[in-house]
Amino acid sequence: MATGARTAMRTEIDATLVLMQWLSPAYPVGAFAYSHGLEAAVEAGWVSDARGLEDWLSDVLLHGTGRNDALLIAAAYRAETRLEVDEIDTTARAFAPSKERLTEADRIGAAFGDTTGAIWATDLAGLVYPVALGRAARLEGLPQALTATLHLQAFTSNLIAAGQRLLPVGQTEGQAMLRRLSALCPQIAADTDAGDLSELASTAFLTDIASMRHETQYSRIFRT
Amino acid sequence: MEHALHMPLPDSPDSSAQPRARGKVHVSTKARDGASVLDGLRQAGSLKLLFPRVDRKAAPQAVLVNTAGGVTGGDRFEISGRAGVGTALTLTTQAAERAYRAQPGETGKIRTRLSVEAGGRIDWLPQETILYDGSALDRALSVDLATDARFLMVEPLVFGRTAMGETLSRARFRDRIEIRRGGVPLYLDSIRMAGDLAAHLARRHIADGAGAMVSLLYVAPEAEARLDAIRARLPETAGASLIRDGVLALRGLAPDSHLLRQWLVPLIESLAHDPLPRPWMT
Repeated sequence: MATGARTAMRTEIDATLVLMQWLSPAYPVGAFAYSHGLEAAVEAGWVSDARGLEDWLSDVLLHGTGRNDALLIAAAYRAETRLEVDEIDTTARAFAPSKERLTEADRIGAAFGDTTGAIWATDLAGLVYPVALGRAARLEGLPQALTATLHLQAFTSNLIAAGQRLLPVGQTEGQAMLRRLSALCPQIAADTDAGDLSELASTAFLTDIASMRHETQYSRIFRT
Repeated sequence: MEHALHMPLPDSPDSSAQPRARGKVHVSTKARDGASVLDGLRQAGSLKLLFPRVDRKAAPQAVLVNTAGGVTGGDRFEISGRAGVGTALTLTTQAAERAYRAQPGETGKIRTRLSVEAGGRIDWLPQETILYDGSALDRALSVDLATDARFLMVEPLVFGRTAMGETLSRARFRDRIEIRRGGVPLYLDSIRMAGDLAAHLARRHIADGAGAMVSLLYVAPEAEARLDAIRARLPETAGASLIRDGVLALRGLAPDSHLLRQWLVPLIESLAHDPLPRPWMT
């Protein structure tokens, strides 16, 4: 094997290790505390079983936050300066459809920025999560598409876990669901590769409405 | 509209040579003796503005009339409005806007630009936009607010002529809303749908088959104080949130436009600067 190819492979392995660390449930961003409005959708009876959870996740991934997060990661990754990153962050915040969605992106982003900034010595302060992640991946030279793909899978996995706390969805059932939904992730990452923020859009209306209604939900275990 | 007072202004040169409808209007307000009065007014092509008589203390009310009767592929409409320093302006439409079937590859465009200067307010209260099967509509609403300006937006949208049993099996719809305050993006919303809209809207977590939807935004220092009362009026298929200080967003779905109006009209009445524009009451 040529030295160049070996170096490239080594780089890819190193990059994957970093992304696995950042996107692991053990990375202290507190993602487990946020249900993205799923808790309100369950309370309303809109999601009541494994099948319903998979439909909800599919709509969130393809028509709502999933696709938009991938666009923001790509845009932040491609930004050349911190000033450009800050503008993307402003756009991301303005695009939040509800207070809790903004809170979720802001708090997870702040926690990710604190830990990652301390270990990798990068300035990620004050950024919402997908923007912070895209910027961090760029600064560390990690592959853009892999960053977006693994983020989407981690986002899905976290919300399946949230669903399992709210609904009777077994471990094997949850993992089978993750395997099926993971197939969507590389496609979404490819579709959003250019990071064109004029493509930010959402039609996952009822997931946004649920996230608004969660603010006044009487009994809740999740912050969003 | 029998109560309307049509401003006696000359029409623009005849544009009937154009194969598609073009329309452009501009209206602005200024302060005079402590009241808001009309300042600039321009209208061209198939957009007109009517000014119904309103109470002396009320803000000028501009009623948009699309004399082309609707929007189809290739049409282009431009609306611009400005509330000058310390003044208020209400904009509405005379009737529901209809997005008709478009020729393949053609898109109707509506561009609306509003600006609200220091201490001013605009209430943007168009009646429903109805998407017909086969329609292709691209809308953009761009609003620039001074730091202390107020803004109310109500955008009701109807997915097909449901009373006639029409479904949107083939349509394109793009809608972009950009609100900036002091030049900084404050609220962005964008909808893009193409193809079988009925199938997409039937999905449980998209619209669960709803026939009508409203997007409402209220930017005002007192927005937070209104939140509880607004929420109390909403059905289960609608939500409201104070996204950040002074920025209240609401989105709601209803089986059809009639059922949407049942809860939406009282809500607009509670938030609008002045009594509900008359066209809304017909």
